[in-house]
Amino acid sequence: MSARLDAKRRAALGEDAEPKAVEEEEQRRSHKEIEESGQRLAKLLFEGTQMVTNIQVAADLQETQRRAEEAELKLRRLERLEKEAKSGTAMFAEITSRWALATERTIPQELWQLLDRQQQRCTRLLEQKNQLISDLQQELKNKDEQYVQAIKQQSDDINLLLERMEEQIRTMLKTYRHKLLQIEKAFELERRELLDSNKKKWEEAIQAHNTQELEYIHTRLRKVEEFEKQLKQLLLQDEEEYNSMKIQLEIEVQNLEKQLQQMKAAYQLTQEKLDFNLQVLRKQDEENAIIRSQQKRKINRLYTIFSNLRTKLAKQEQQFREEGQSLTTHCERIMAKCKVVQRKMRHFALSDSEKFTEVWLMNEEEAKGLMRKALDADFVIHTQQLGLHWEEPHYWFLNNVGPLGCYKAKRRATELAAQILTGGTHSALEEREKEMEKVGSEGGGKENTMKAEDKVAPLRNICKKTAKRILELVSDESGFLLEGKQLRLLQALGRDDRILMKLDSIFGALGIDSEDDLHQLLDFFLHYKAREVTVRQSQGSPGGDVTDPAEDREHGGSSPQRDELKLPQSPPASLPSASIRTDDVLRILNAFMWDFNKPREKDESPKDVLPERDSSRDEEYWAALAHVIPQPVLKLWDALAAALEEYYNVLTSRATLLAETSVLQQQNSELCVLLEEYVSSRVNSELLCPPTKWMDLSLACPREAQRAPKAKAEML
Amino acid sequence: MQQPAPGDGGRAISSLYPPPASLAAEHRVIEDPEWSLATVPHLTDLCLQHIIHNFGKNPVLNRLLPEHQRKVLDRLSTDVPLAVTANLIRDEDYWKRCCTERWQVCDISNYGGSWKRMFMERHLENVVKRFIPNSTDPNQVLELIPLCKDYVRKLEVDQFLPPLQVDQKEEMDDDDTGSDFGDDEVSMHHYDIGVLITALPHLEELHLTYGMKDCGMNFEWNLFDFTHQDCCNLAVALKKCHNLKVFKLTRSKVDDNQTRLLVRNLLDHPCLVELNLSHNLIRDKGAQAVGKLINCSRLETLDLCNNQIHHEGAQALAQALAENSTLTSLNLRLNCLEDKGGEAIGHALLTNTTLKSIHLGSNNLSEPTATVFSQVLAQNTTLTNINFSCNHLGLDGGKQLLDGLANNKTLTEFDLRLAEVGQETEYLIHQIVWANREVARLGSLQNAPAKPL
Repeated sequence: MSARLDAKRRAALGEDAEPKAVEEEEQRRSHKEIEESGQRLAKLLFEGTQMVTNIQVAADLQETQRRAEEAELKLRRLERLEKEAKSGTAMFAEITSRWALATERTIPQELWQLLDRQQQRCTRLLEQKNQLISDLQQELKNKDEQYVQAIKQQSDDINLLLERMEEQIRTMLKTYRHKLLQIEKAFELERRELLDSNKKKWEEAIQAHNTQELEYIHTRLRKVEEFEKQLKQLLLQDEEEYNSMKIQLEIEVQNLEKQLQQMKAAYQLTQEKLDFNLQVLRKQDEENAIIRSQQKRKINRLYTIFSNLRTKLAKQEQQFREEGQSLTTHCERIMAKCKVVQRKMRHFALSDSEKFTEVWLMNEEEAKGLMRKALDADFVIHTQQLGLHWEEPHYWFLNNVGPLGCYKAKRRATELAAQILTGGTHSALEEREKEMEKVGSEGGGKENTMKAEDKVAPLRNICKKTAKRILELVSDESGFLLEGKQLRLLQALGRDDRILMKLDSIFGALGIDSEDDLHQLLDFFLHYKAREVTVRQSQGSPGGDVTDPAEDREHGGSSPQRDELKLPQSPPASLPSASIRTDDVLRILNAFMWDFNKPREKDESPKDVLPERDSSRDEEYWAALAHVIPQPVLKLWDALAAALEEYYNVLTSRATLLAETSVLQQQNSELCVLLEEYVSSRVNSELLCPPTKWMDLSLACPREAQRAPKAKAEML
Repeated sequence: MQQPAPGDGGRAISSLYPPPASLAAEHRVIEDPEWSLATVPHLTDLCLQHIIHNFGKNPVLNRLLPEHQRKVLDRLSTDVPLAVTANLIRDEDYWKRCCTERWQVCDISNYGGSWKRMFMERHLENVVKRFIPNSTDPNQVLELIPLCKDYVRKLEVDQFLPPLQVDQKEEMDDDDTGSDFGDDEVSMHHYDIGVLITALPHLEELHLTYGMKDCGMNFEWNLFDFTHQDCCNLAVALKKCHNLKVFKLTRSKVDDNQTRLLVRNLLDHPCLVELNLSHNLIRDKGAQAVGKLINCSRLETLDLCNNQIHHEGAQALAQALAENSTLTSLNLRLNCLEDKGGEAIGHALLTNTTLKSIHLGSNNLSEPTATVFSQVLAQNTTLTNINFSCNHLGLDGGKQLLDGLANNKTLTEFDLRLAEVGQETEYLIHQIVWANREVARLGSLQNAPAKPL
């Protein structure tokens, strides 16, 4: 075994070398040898193993044959045994059946005969069985012999096997050795051949190398000579160069020495300078150190200050925060105060305005009185003094009552509504006023204008009736806005009152507050209507909003029922309201509320603030009041005064003169009496020339003079 | 001058060596005029000598210098108890000495090149072989387990002694006729090898033969019984041997039920690669069980030679073979497959692509099998080795096989000896196979040229 393994290994080794050989030289003898030997060895091995295994195969065959025979024999044996068993049982059955007969036999001879026969049969059966047993034992013996033979044969086989194996090993070893030798020889041969060829190559190469070497030596010698020559030349040249260089260098050395000395001097100088500088720098350094320490100290100080400041800052911040807090609280307090003050201010403003109006009214009254007085005086002057026609001047301010620019406070919506609803009474009042106007024809002009104003205000451009109608509709339809309890209470009231109360609460619910809102509402109703009307293209009757006072008055006194009755009779006025169907009211109201709430939200805030009073016209007003009597009239008055003064003077002088005249007349009359007495006295008649003659003339003259001033006065 | 040094040495040695003989030798040396210092052994040598002498009592080895270790191991007696040396000495030379002294034939190649393993395995085998149930102390084996469990990889036990009383055995030895004595009542169970093999963690190969050797004229059939109890013990133990790769149970009269019991415990074994149940009494049922095992394990080699498998078992094996993809070698030599079984296996080989070697020698096959196999030879490209020796293929069968082989390039061995195919056919087939083999040889050379054997 080991030898075979060895051989295999060697073969493998040989085969290992094979591919390399293939690479090197395809047709190499060793390779061929190895190939051949490999094949031969494989064949040998195969044959050997065939030889060895042949024994096993033969044994197998024998075994199979034996088994087949065995099986056959077994089968035959079984058959025989079965047959035997069958015949045996048959015989036994016969015997047992005969025993039954034995009981029937009574004769001893017969019984004996029977028994004898039975015995014979039994012996036959036993003989048969014994025969079988002996046969089988014979077979067993044969088998034993066969077994011994088989063992012998097998031992022979094994011996043969061993022999063959040994032989095989031997032959294999021999052949392997032989082959190995052959291969080795082949390799040797090859090696020798290779060596020879390599030696040849080597020698050739060496010869070539030698010749080359010689050539090289020759060339080298030549070159050496050349180089020697060159060297000599170079030496000469170099010597010259060297000399010149030496001289140059010496000169240079001298120069350099000089320079060195100079440099040394410079060095010393610079050294001194540097020393000095060094000292200076050191001092500076020291100073710097001092300064640095100072700076450090300063820094420390500043640090402490900084920290102090920081703490201070913190404190300050704390303080300020506290202050801020106190200030905010203060501010809040002030705000509260301010609010209080504002409230107060508003209150005061209200009271001030009231006072103002009061004062105004008082002053105005006073002024008006004075003015009236002046006007009366003017009237008197004109009419009595001058005899001119006097006209009452028409000034805007004359009718003014109360402070300027402050319009009437807006009436509340309900009031307006009430006004609208109670239009009858209102118009009755108006009527009365009209009558009054007619009675007081002269002063009625003023009041007329006021009336016109008044009438326009409550119902800007809406027919009162329409408005009333709308409001009624609203009150009827929006009953749901009221509480049930209220409604029940309202049942007790009269119709107008009920409507009014209803409206009041409805407005409260809708948020309609002021007169303007109500106007807006009414406008909205009408616009809505108008839109519908235009849509409908109905027979246009736009005259509804044109109201003539006559018609107004006509409807004025009537009760609402009558109003309703009259509605169809006055189609142009009532059409728009009539055409508002009750169904639409709620829709319109809804739309209105939608629009109405928008602006309301915007101007909620400045509501409280009182309107700034415009005092610019006050002065004018008062001035106008003061100058109710125009300048020309005053001038007239002045001239009149002066003339009257003069007149007065004249009159006074006249009076004095009159007194004189009266005195003189008295004197005259006394004198006349005296004269008459004289004349009458017989003294006169006695006189040549009586005084009576010339005196008559003088007496007639005073009477004419008295008459003249009277004319003059009349002339004035 | 020389007096004190040897004297000291002598005293020192005498203290180390109590036997008086050495002292006497020293004295003699002292008196010897031709005595020289060169002949005096070194103290280290003497110490080593002492260590060697007392190695059994005080094994000092690992603390020595390498050179001294070497000396100790070279001179250490092979009689030192195994309990001391087993786990201490790794040196191969020592174990080689042990082996060669104990056994004449020592083929180390069967033991992975390790002398120590060889010694351990063979020692253990010897102990098991001589174990007589009920009389030998089981501790004899159990004590060995911790010593050798790290080294034993293969266990070849070709003898299991039956449990007989020693005196009975002697009696039997003495008296041939008393062989029937007490056969009936004594249970014939053999040593329960399960105790041993489950304790060996590295066990990879297990070869068992339940039988007796050299019984001579004391032969009795019941000496060779493989009882059910033995089989149960073995099967349970096998299931626990997870590293087992090769299992051989030969010449042990294993019957169908025992085969099935073994197979049931070997199903899905993680490592088992080779199973050898040759020379047993396995019939069709057992073959069916083995067929089931083929596809439930990683078996590569299956040897069922010299059993009693007929065509039913062969059909079961063939069915398993048709689906299998691990088995490479199947040996059915010396069975009774006959043509039905042979055809079934041939049909299975038409689909199988892993099986390389099949042995159908001595199976009573004839021409129908040959026709099927000619088809197999034409189609299959994995089979390299077919053995039809000792069958009755006949001349026509041989020709059909030759036709099938005409285009085959893989078959390298085709044994048709004693198959009655005729010399000419055999020669032609041999030529074709030889050519294939040459091609395969060259191919393997080219594929792995530098692979030393």
